[in-house]
Amino acid sequence: MIGCRDLRVHAGGRELLHVPELDVPAGSVLAVLGPNGAGKTTLLRALGLLGPHRITGDVLLDGHPATRAHLRIAAAAVLQRPILRRGTVAANVAGGLRFRGAPRAAARERAAPWLDRLGIAHLADRDARTLSGGEAQRTCLARALALDPRVLLLDEPFTGLDTTTRADLVADLAAALAGRPTATVLVTHDPEEAAALADDVAVLVAGQVRRHGPTSDVFDDPRDLGTARLLGFTNVVGTRAARPEHTRLGAAREFAVAGRLRRILTLGSAVRLDVDTCDGPLTCLYPDRDTLDAVPDIGAEVSVVLDRHKIVTAAPPVDRPARPPRARGRGEGRYSGVFGPPMR
Amino acid sequence: MLLPGLVEALRLLASGDENTWSITALTLRVSLTATAIALVLGVPTGAAVALTRFPGRRVLLAGANTGMGLPPVVIGLFVTVLLWRSGPLGAFGLLYTPIAMIVAQAVIATPVVTALVAAAVQQVDPDFRAQMQAIGATRARALLALLGEARLPLLAAAMAAFGAVVSEVGAAQMVGGNLAGQTRVLTTAAVLATSRGQFALAIAFGLILLGIAFLVNLVLTLAQQR
Repeated sequence: MIGCRDLRVHAGGRELLHVPELDVPAGSVLAVLGPNGAGKTTLLRALGLLGPHRITGDVLLDGHPATRAHLRIAAAAVLQRPILRRGTVAANVAGGLRFRGAPRAAARERAAPWLDRLGIAHLADRDARTLSGGEAQRTCLARALALDPRVLLLDEPFTGLDTTTRADLVADLAAALAGRPTATVLVTHDPEEAAALADDVAVLVAGQVRRHGPTSDVFDDPRDLGTARLLGFTNVVGTRAARPEHTRLGAAREFAVAGRLRRILTLGSAVRLDVDTCDGPLTCLYPDRDTLDAVPDIGAEVSVVLDRHKIVTAAPPVDRPARPPRARGRGEGRYSGVFGPPMR
Repeated sequence: MLLPGLVEALRLLASGDENTWSITALTLRVSLTATAIALVLGVPTGAAVALTRFPGRRVLLAGANTGMGLPPVVIGLFVTVLLWRSGPLGAFGLLYTPIAMIVAQAVIATPVVTALVAAAVQQVDPDFRAQMQAIGATRARALLALLGEARLPLLAAAMAAFGAVVSEVGAAQMVGGNLAGQTRVLTTAAVLATSRGQFALAIAFGLILLGIAFLVNLVLTLAQQR
């Protein structure tokens, strides 16, 4: 397993990151979610001792402080942009094994199954410079997985891929990791990727872990609105937040928000409605156009209703340290505060 | 006049004219050695300028870029002053020797290599070394992989350096003195022949020079485009 204690990263006299404690057990996936510039990449690179910044504190490998030499053997990382060497796809996938001293033929042999598993076997003899973004990303993943690492560090490996390729790659990665004793850290800004792949989620904001726990717990109870937004609950009314797909136009009634329809976007079979309200802009997403009874005109007065069964309640973002969570059973009272007073 | 020059050149080479061969051999020895020294000094310097941050880094790079266009005569002058009998390095008695020519040509070629290597290495993705280390490369292996990645422009730097020194005449003339059988190279021999009105001989030297430049660059290009 990989972890850290009192990990700090400094650059230019500024502290970019401080993580007092973080552990990722063997066989589990931790997703690090956060907005742009939160320090996600910095954390990932610090865990791999991959520089370029000054790192203090300990990176722990199986509970013991690790050096760069330890991590060189135990860990493999896929950085944000796919970086491949000149040469064929097969040679690139075998590249990590070659670095670790495997003879050329043995490295090719051990890498071959990963070409299959990542769906790039047919590209084996292609020049790596001619690959598409998705193919290059698959090659990078195969190169890291072929090392059979105890620690896998992934920095937004699905960024810039089209939706279908991304879904395929997420599924392929999940299958590749299933049943392996690899401790995986996945940096992402996409809550869906986190939900699909991760056992645990850490929410990183401004270089600090704001929330850390099992994926379902964090998604059910984001605790603050900043975290809720990161998790896709982008429609915020007071202390309540909901996803666009759980927000509907409805009759004016209690707890509905009045507003003016600003924009209608057709996204394939889905329809997205943007409404300006006194609580700020809200978005309604109808995955199926037919479920929308009648499309109002732009500029029409409408009321927006957050689905009370899909809502989360969270405190406004604050800079003071979070209070310890209120003890309660899982699931119990998840929505109890929705229409009650704010939690704090 | 070109045709008699060509015929004379072929005759000189074919007849195994000892004088011509020794001039050609010295030209190759001096220019290849100077290029090798420039590579040994310039590749690490260029890589360091591209990959690390240290005080004076940008000034060094600007110096190297300026050095790419420095007239060989100026370098010849400085090296001559340094090696002059009463100069700081006069005690070694190196002036008017092939070593002096190698020194001067290495000084000409090193900034060329440094500037081109810095540019070549900076073209590679800034995360390249980190990614290589992230899949198990040591720092040294990652650096070698980076240089391998930049090998096309690196070989171009070697070609540019060799081209700069094999074709220059000012420094070779000043620090070598164009002594027959000792420091006469193709360029200084061509200048002398021209000044004597022996145009056919001068053209012959010129053609041999072109041939050498082409052969060396052919070898490097074949290595580059492998």
